[in-house]
Order: sequence, then C-alpha cells, then structure tokens
Amino acid sequence: MEKNFIIAGFGGQGVLLAGEVLANAFMMAGKNVTWYPCYGAEMRGGTVNCEIVMNDSEEVSAVNKKEADFVVALNQASVDRFVSKIKKGGWMIANSSLAKEIRTRADINYLFAPITKLAENVGNIKMTNILALGILAKVSKLVTLESLTEALDAVIPAHRKNLIPLNLKALKIGYEYDLLPV
Amino acid sequence: MTECLTKTGKKVLTKGNYAIANAAVIAGCQCYFGYPITPQSEIGEFMSGKMQELKRGYVSAESELGAINMVIGAVATGVKAMTSSSSCAISLMQEALSYAATDELPVVLVSVMRGGPGLGNIYPSQGDYNQATIGGGNGDYKLIVLAPSTVQECVDLTYKAFYLAQKYRNPTVLLADGMLGQMMEPVEFGEYPYPEIDNSDWALTGAKGRPSRVIRSYGPLADDRCVFLNKLFEKYKTIEENETEWEEFNTDDADIILVSFGGPSRNVKSAMKECRRQGLRVGMFRPVTLYPFPSKRLNELAGITKKFLVVEVNMGQMVRDVRLAVNGKVPVELFNKPVGSPPEVDDIVNEVKRQIKE
Repeated sequence: MEKNFIIAGFGGQGVLLAGEVLANAFMMAGKNVTWYPCYGAEMRGGTVNCEIVMNDSEEVSAVNKKEADFVVALNQASVDRFVSKIKKGGWMIANSSLAKEIRTRADINYLFAPITKLAENVGNIKMTNILALGILAKVSKLVTLESLTEALDAVIPAHRKNLIPLNLKALKIGYEYDLLPV
Repeated sequence: MTECLTKTGKKVLTKGNYAIANAAVIAGCQCYFGYPITPQSEIGEFMSGKMQELKRGYVSAESELGAINMVIGAVATGVKAMTSSSSCAISLMQEALSYAATDELPVVLVSVMRGGPGLGNIYPSQGDYNQATIGGGNGDYKLIVLAPSTVQECVDLTYKAFYLAQKYRNPTVLLADGMLGQMMEPVEFGEYPYPEIDNSDWALTGAKGRPSRVIRSYGPLADDRCVFLNKLFEKYKTIEENETEWEEFNTDDADIILVSFGGPSRNVKSAMKECRRQGLRVGMFRPVTLYPFPSKRLNELAGITKKFLVVEVNMGQMVRDVRLAVNGKVPVELFNKPVGSPPEVDDIVNEVKRQIKE
C-alpha cells in the first residue's frame, strides 16, 4: 500500500517540519517513507509545501506525484493550489482560520478546522503545524499518536526540548477535534 | 544536525546532503574544503561542525577554485579529502579535475546538479551528465562517476566513491541532483565497507629515509607523454572491466526498455511497473556508474528489445551514450523534461504507450 500526503501553507507555519515529523513517525512505525520539499525562492510569508510518500513494501517511491491521498492546507493559497490534486475519495484538511469554507469538489472529503485558532488556544500559534498533524492522524488512521510523539522527540533539537509538552498538547487537541465528518 | 552521525544499525531520517556528508566522515574523509551553493549547502554546513568536532580539517574556501585545489593538495599527502558543489560552480573546477586526473590523485567530488546552463536556477536537474562524464578540462582523461537514486544510495555510493578513488588513484564524482540532496528518507550508515588502500608507494609524506617524490602533470617529452597516456588508458580499461555497475528489471521479454539514471529513475521504475500492470512488456535499465558506462550490456539488450526510451531531466545527454552503445541496432528515443522534479509517472506511461504504437 502506498499513500501520499501534501502539507502546504505559508513559509513560517512549520509546513516542512510537520512533514518531517510525519515522515519520522512513518519510519518509526517500520514503513518506508520519502519526504520531498518544494524548494526554490520560497521565504517567510511565501507558500511552501512538501510531499510525503509512505509505502508498506520495500519499494522505492516515485515523487512529484500527480495526485495525493491527503492534503493539509494551512492557508487559502494552498487550498486553491492543491484541491485539484486530491484523489477521488481523498481528503482536504483545511485551516478555516485562514481559508474560506468553500467545497468546490463533490468527490473528495473536506474537513475545515480553525487550526490557527486552536493552536492559539493551546498557548502558542506556532503549534499550528503539529495540531494539524493530530487532525491528520485521526482522519487518515495511518499514523498513531505514539509514533508522532516519538517522532517529535527525534526531530525537535536538544535546545528546544522544552517545547515538547506544548507540542504534545497540540497534537492531542488536533486528534480529539470532534467535528470530523465520518 | 550533526548529531545524526551514527554507525549503529538504527535507521535515521535524513536529507541526501547530510547523508553524503555523514557517509564521507565515516569513510574517513580527513579534510573537507568547500564553498556554499544551493542545493548542496547542507554538506558544507554539516562538515563545518563535524570536522571540527572530530579534529579533522575543514576550510570554508575563498572560491570553488580554491576548494578543489585544496583537495588536490590534501590527497597528494595520502589522506582522504573531498569537496562538494553544484553545476555552475563545478564548471569552475574543470581545470583542477584535469590536473587531478593526470596526477592520478584520489579526489572525491560531490556534484549536486541544479538547473543550467550558466547560473541557471536551484531546481533539480540532470544537466551535468556531460559535465561529469565528458568533462570540461583539457586533454584525455576520465573521472569515475557514480549516480545514486535514493538517499540510502547516497550513503553507499559515497563510501564507494572514496574506495574507487583510492583503489584506482582517480578523481571520482558522486553525481546527485537537487532532488536527492533535499529529500529525506530513512538510511542506515553502518561501517565503511571497503578495505583501506595502501598509498605508501606514492603519497607525499615527507622524504625522510627515502628518495623524494614529485607529483606533477607536466610531461615535456613527446615520447614520455605517449607512454604515460597509454598507461593511463590501460587503467581506465581496467576500471571499465571491473567497476561497471547497473540495475535492470524485466528486460528479458521487454518490447521497450526505459533507461534512466539518478533520482528521476525512481519515477521511471514506477512507470515501468504501471505499464507491466497494464499488460505492456516494458523493462528498465539504470546505469549506476555513468563512467564506466554499461555500454556492453546495453548492446546485448539491443538484441532482445525492440526499442529504448531514455528518460532524463535535461535536454538529452545520456541518450547519446545509449545510442553509441546500441550502435544503431534498434531505435533509441528520448523523453525529457528540461529541468525540475522528475516527470510524473502518468506522463512517462503515456509516452511509453505512444512509443509502442509508433
């Protein structure tokens, strides 16, 4: 089984880091994974995205895929850009704090959550990315909170370890966000 | 990031650039000289911390010319040393590579390709296939060129680059691209898997107790130069016989064989599998060594298949080597993307179908 994810948003929202945490979580769960960033003239405030391809077998994954199973869009520009790339039956997880709740496709699932606002409620707007991962874990059922917790510990550098409790809180709040359409 | 250095069996998720740098450290690289350029700057960043920590040599060179010539100086003393750079800056190193080849020095150069020509851009590319395999330096010389396609291979082939450079006293290039440099995958480093090569018969280690030695590329006498070049090319022949490496899949019954190297070959492999799923007899061939190029095997395969389709992210460079290898036996077509991430799998599949119909 192969599943691929796109995480996108403003530079500075922690899009690449969220992807790195997700990729680490897959690795820790014994899966093959590839993390591929868009890189170029991106900067803080511009748009940025990364693609994560998870694979159960020993396969080397292709990248730059035409379609994604899951898109996490943290701003309007990312919703607009990637909504057409979602597979039929796939998911758009969008940040309604920064994007309009407009459903342009009938053949995909939408989840709008005020991710930025929820992060502010956790106590730090910088937790937006990790909170989004909590939601993604719940929706996708492809990664556990345990793996994500382990991944956070691996990714967050020594001098930022003090931020782990807040990140875990954000992860949990995302995971327990209860407006999920089933 | 320097804490990722590990020799244990534990997998770590890391970028291709860090994987290359860490592998070089494990391979025993004593000196790193470099000048930053995207998309390979992480190599220098990693080395700036790790080499100092290990009390090895690190110099942030004044230019790429400086860096490659510092490597020449270092390896002449018998230690392992490397530099890394990208495209337009590798252009600046061509003179030194020609010197290193004739001086028979085990220089290791990591080339992480970006868009060209000229300053180009920082997106992934395979536009430096010719630069690496043919080169821009003067005279008759060859560089050994290894092309990884995964982050794990970035590690494995970095080890191999150091080994082959030492074994044959020949400059060796690890030819990656911006995509591999920037992507992250789980890797295991393990131990440096090759034996150490004795260089006591040529390295410049101080002439105490022995006659002095000179390493130079100048050969003023015509006859001497003929002897030298013939000997050099005997060495290249040995390299071609012993070190040619490739991967092939489903070639036995293939109507068409896709040929691709480096990062983009991942998408080509997926496309080949998708074609097979749809009942098309498609095979794949991936050169791992670009010099020596697996020409002999491609020529054999030309007796089995009806057509080759070369997929590259440039305007068509390796396709010439494939055509030379196939030598007109069957058509060799090109499907290219000028620059950027690899072609999408569906696009390759569609092109294969079009080629089969033709």
